[in-house]
Amino acid sequence: MNTATQTDTVTLTIDGKTVTVPKGTVVVDAAKTVDIEIPVFCYHEKLGPFGCCRMCLVEVEKMPKLTTACTLAAGEGMVVKTNTDKVEKAQKGVLEFTLLNHPLDCPVCDKGGECPLQDNTFKFGPPDTRMEYNRFHRDKATPLSPVITIDRERCIACQRCTRYSDIIEKDQALVMLNRGFQNRVATFNDKPYDTRFSGNVIDICPVGALTNTDFRFTARAWDLTNANTLCGHCACNCNMTLGTRLNEMKRITTRPNDLVDDGWICDKARWGYDFTKSKNRITQPRKQGQAVSIQDACSEVAASLKKIVEAHGPQSVGFIGSGYGLNEDLYSYQKLFRQNLGTNNIDHKTYTDTPGLPVAHFDLLDVETSDLVVLIASDPTEELPILDLRLKKAMTRQGVQMVVLNDQQTLMDKYATQSLRYNVGTDGAVLAGLNAALQGQSAGSDLENKTGVSVDQLKTLAEKIKSAGKVCVIYNPAALTGSSVHILKQCLSTADGLAETTVGAMPAAPVTNSVGAMDMGILPDSYPGGVALSDGDTIKAKWGDTAPLEKGLSALEMIEKAKSGELKALVVYRSNPVVDFPSGHEVGEALKKLDLLVIHDMMETETAKLAQIVLPSNGPGFDEGTTTNVGGRVQLRTKGLTTDNPADWKIVSMIAKELGQETAPKDVHAVTAEIAEKVNGYQEIKRSAIRKQGKNRGAVASTNGASASDGVNTGNGLVLRVANVLFSHDKILDAESNLAHQFQPSTVHLHASDAATFGVKEGDEVRVTGNGHEVKAEVRVSNRCNPGGVVLPKVSDEQGVMSLAEAGKAVSWVTIRK
Amino acid sequence: MFAFTEASETRIVKILAKYPEERKVSALLPLLTLAQAQEGYITPEAMVDIGKRLDVSPAYVESVCTFYTMYYTKPVGKYVVKFCINISCHLNGCDNLLEYTEKKLGIKEGETTPDKKFTLLKEECLAACCEAPVMQVNNKYHVNMTPEKVDQILESYQ
Amino acid sequence: MTEILFKDINTPNLASIDVYEKTLDGYKALKKAFAMEPDEVVEMVKASGLRGRGGAGFPTGLKWSFLAKDVFPRYLACNADESEPGTCKDRELIMKNPHLLIEGMILCSYACRIETGYNYMRGEFWEYEPVMEKAMEEAYAKGYLGKNILGSGFNLDIHTHMGAGAYICGEESALLTSLEGYRGEPRLKPPFPAVEGLYGKPTIVNNVETLCALPYIVRNGAEAYAAIGTEKSKGTKLVSVSGHVNKPGNYEIPLGTPTIDLIEKYAGGIRNGNKLKAFIPGGSSVPMLPASQADVPYDYESLQAAGTMLGSGALIVMDDTTNVVVEALVLTHFYMHESCGKCTPCREGTRWMYQILSDIITRKGKPEQVELLNDICDNMAFKCFCPLGDAAVAPIVSSIQYFPEDYEDLIASLKSEQPVGTH
Repeated sequence: MNTATQTDTVTLTIDGKTVTVPKGTVVVDAAKTVDIEIPVFCYHEKLGPFGCCRMCLVEVEKMPKLTTACTLAAGEGMVVKTNTDKVEKAQKGVLEFTLLNHPLDCPVCDKGGECPLQDNTFKFGPPDTRMEYNRFHRDKATPLSPVITIDRERCIACQRCTRYSDIIEKDQALVMLNRGFQNRVATFNDKPYDTRFSGNVIDICPVGALTNTDFRFTARAWDLTNANTLCGHCACNCNMTLGTRLNEMKRITTRPNDLVDDGWICDKARWGYDFTKSKNRITQPRKQGQAVSIQDACSEVAASLKKIVEAHGPQSVGFIGSGYGLNEDLYSYQKLFRQNLGTNNIDHKTYTDTPGLPVAHFDLLDVETSDLVVLIASDPTEELPILDLRLKKAMTRQGVQMVVLNDQQTLMDKYATQSLRYNVGTDGAVLAGLNAALQGQSAGSDLENKTGVSVDQLKTLAEKIKSAGKVCVIYNPAALTGSSVHILKQCLSTADGLAETTVGAMPAAPVTNSVGAMDMGILPDSYPGGVALSDGDTIKAKWGDTAPLEKGLSALEMIEKAKSGELKALVVYRSNPVVDFPSGHEVGEALKKLDLLVIHDMMETETAKLAQIVLPSNGPGFDEGTTTNVGGRVQLRTKGLTTDNPADWKIVSMIAKELGQETAPKDVHAVTAEIAEKVNGYQEIKRSAIRKQGKNRGAVASTNGASASDGVNTGNGLVLRVANVLFSHDKILDAESNLAHQFQPSTVHLHASDAATFGVKEGDEVRVTGNGHEVKAEVRVSNRCNPGGVVLPKVSDEQGVMSLAEAGKAVSWVTIRK
Repeated sequence: MFAFTEASETRIVKILAKYPEERKVSALLPLLTLAQAQEGYITPEAMVDIGKRLDVSPAYVESVCTFYTMYYTKPVGKYVVKFCINISCHLNGCDNLLEYTEKKLGIKEGETTPDKKFTLLKEECLAACCEAPVMQVNNKYHVNMTPEKVDQILESYQ
Repeated sequence: MTEILFKDINTPNLASIDVYEKTLDGYKALKKAFAMEPDEVVEMVKASGLRGRGGAGFPTGLKWSFLAKDVFPRYLACNADESEPGTCKDRELIMKNPHLLIEGMILCSYACRIETGYNYMRGEFWEYEPVMEKAMEEAYAKGYLGKNILGSGFNLDIHTHMGAGAYICGEESALLTSLEGYRGEPRLKPPFPAVEGLYGKPTIVNNVETLCALPYIVRNGAEAYAAIGTEKSKGTKLVSVSGHVNKPGNYEIPLGTPTIDLIEKYAGGIRNGNKLKAFIPGGSSVPMLPASQADVPYDYESLQAAGTMLGSGALIVMDDTTNVVVEALVLTHFYMHESCGKCTPCREGTRWMYQILSDIITRKGKPEQVELLNDICDNMAFKCFCPLGDAAVAPIVSSIQYFPEDYEDLIASLKSEQPVGTH
């Protein structure tokens, strides 16, 4: 779509100034480019022209009436005047009407100080009103949801919020009821407005009608210290402003970056930062449960690791990190383990993936400029919410087509032109079939029987890919089984080889810095920048002659070796294997066998309880450094809060020093600079270059793994699919969270035929058993997955669904009991 | 619980056939009208049902429903008596007629008789200005109204 | 008397197709039209001088020629949302002669290469939906609707679509929004419906009366129609004469007939032997005029020159017992009630003006409020999203202009114990 760039421009005059803008630009936006402010209420550039508030009336030569500058496309030779007597009278008139029934309760209004109505009245309004009657009274400050307060008296009916709900969220959850002066913003039957993106209406409300319940009356806008930071939840890395006062998080608001978030954040970003003041934060280093100084803790870690390496060799120690760390922190850790301890026992995940891509790494904006999006095994709504909005925008407003390939139903199916539902666990076979179809071959005749997807369906998809000019493949490697990701990458190569097609991909693992963790070499078989172990020359040149070249243990192998006693020491960074790893219920026992378990984390976890040494990680809000998002965009996450505890990279540096590292980075920028120097693709990543909108990192070396067969282990019962849930009740969103109302009960989704087989029905309380573990859940009979599969949304840590999954197996089998 | 009757379902098939499939939300007003004809007013359950049929949210349905004055979201009497109060009827004495009817029914405009038989409403211009004053009972026109005619007509709706 | 639309309107059973065909040469225009190229029909309608009878008076043939070229499907939406206070002509046409409308819709559709038409009737015309439906059934049965009409190769389906109570849906873009199943809020123009209308496709929105004039024009030729009326206001107009007259009713007149003739000759003069005080010539949305201007010819240009408009052709007559402020209040209540609430000046202004007028009527007014009303009107006029806001100021501005004494009387007579009757 739209690859042809719109280069046509028009030139017009606004208040005597000549302005040249792209065709289609509305006069309000054209005026901004020459610093002429035309006041607006209803107009919002992401919502498009609407023209209801009448605030932006201007005079245009040759037009008999005043016209709204927000609905008027700039025309060649147009002469616009924004400051004539006629316009000024109209502005005063409109403001008088706007304020007619608006309570003047500015002193107790949270919008005060950042209110377009205040500002426009100040600049353009009448000095007073001629209104002598009582204002139209409505309920004051009622809950629109547990987190949003609506004050309908203040509403000026600009319809920004309702249009947002319709055009951007696509839910039509928030609407206008009634008509005339009786109209009001409401939900159906006054139910809570609790979508995943509800909070954006607070930011776009031009008056104090929609306010943040959590923030209400806690601070005046002008008393806040605002930090331009990034969200640290999912891998979109939306830009946001963290408002603090007296070193406490007060509120989070959008900070539009069209290349990332398109001006929106999800509710988890807005209200999911209570952890910054949670009592469950790890703020005190401790050893065997006793508080120690950070220096003592680091010395202890270094000494113990050194001792173990000396006694048992470098292969006896390991590091399990996670995509929750910043690039600088992760880079420092891999360097510590490789350079100072001599091991490649480094990993950050429990699924198979390799760094880099055989095709271009597409950024989020490419979604809009592609002809076809192929969404594989990904559930953006729950995993990468802002990608959900971007996809909806592309599908409904920009004519982009989408094909969904998934083992479970998601909200994205509604926007897809084709939805292929494969049987849970058969992604490898389907992708192999697709690869064959792309090569003009046919997959085996038993494909449909095995996967639920027919050869013809894949042929249709292959045709679509062949005939589309630009194809964007979005896949969640964490939701692919076995080594299917290798087959997927073969598909990418095959598709890219097609004559007429340009293919790019976006590896869409949900965790904040998943791409960064891969790039930083938090992998047992790859150095930073995707440098394979076989590339000894490069490795030695960059990381010295002693850099280990033998493959290290994967995260799951490290747990296995801990259990067998071969692994003696483990540093776990920002990860909670007891809950989040497959066979998690067995992880605890394994970790107890270690001589040394170091947990470096932000929150108290089940795993931290087992540690001999616990180190504090400051985390989002407090930390500073870079993350690389799903689109390969590297951005700067700055801090808004301060702490006495050192940054994570600094702690690593302190440990390294104890291990004999002579040089230490003086600050985080030095680490960023070292990354730029050493990591493929990051050469251009400099603080100055990424400060505003971030920057795409260049290509990371891509080595495709062995095209392992899609051999799936067999078993009895139903094949398990664990689904992600945005508002999962975990350590980040705890019971005290503002979003606790969004927590869901434990449910198990299965097909009607399987429900019959297991003798269960909708609403039954059942036990889902498998892998020697049991999870309680309520039955949902649905078409969420094909017969033979079962979907369990991971709704909380307590629920323990990951223990149903068998570590190291492509698929896991469960049964259902009443 | 709300459910369209079998007769309504037959009507719905015909209604939906009027509009392009991808624009079936055009059938929203006709379906609301049908639901009201069936239940007397539009219940939240009916809004949910209609929303599902037309692929729109129940909030969307409520938003549309509350825009149009002919839809009631609360129960009304068996007979809804409406008096036009606009200019042509006003020039022909609709005020007195409305007052007369209020007294006769013992209720104020906007109210329903205790026996739930009559609801009395004001209505804006009903496009029968040359036969003012105008009254409608359950959408049926009664023109050139006089107090005597009010008596007769309301009698016939007993 | 020149009767084109109302010819034999009171013939018993005219709504049945057989009577229509026999009495009025019904559906005879189709054959004649189908013998022409569609564009020739457009030219014919242009030459006839027919103008939109819904209110705006825009030349019909010209409107048709604005249809986006070569974009299909196209739609016809017949505007039968007759809601302008004082107007009841379309109701009579639909009620008594539905086939005339159907024939008109077919002719328009043929000329504009439209294959689907909707007849958007106001919900309060509930009684006439079956009348329309039955007439359409008959027309389908006779092959005037459906596939390959009269062997011409031309296909047309028409459907009735009932509104549900909203004056604003008479505004063409709001009508389309409503027909699409949304709140009847007006849309931004441009794009105009002829370019992007129903479902984003080129659409013709024509009033019932406009469409009903087409069979005559096609049967008798553009010249025959153009010969009636004045040079620029050609043809006949249905005028709904209501208010303080002896014989209120819908009358068909050649455009250019003196207004006083409508009142005196057609409608039998002022009731009770009273004197004419004021009249609103074109429905509530146009300024009223005082009795002294009653000789103004009833046509588009003359009424415009007199500072008002022909509008929908609703002549509301007020005798000298009337205080026009009361009627201005009645109409302001109407506009407040019917304001969709989308744009600020209309939503807020109508209510504010209603509050002020209510004060004046109940003798709580202040002299300066008259000027305030004028200024509020100035702040609304031509600054609202759609013409409803402009319409809402018409009764107030014109009543202040021509009858300031009516305001002064109410404001001065603080001691009078008798409130002026209103609702």
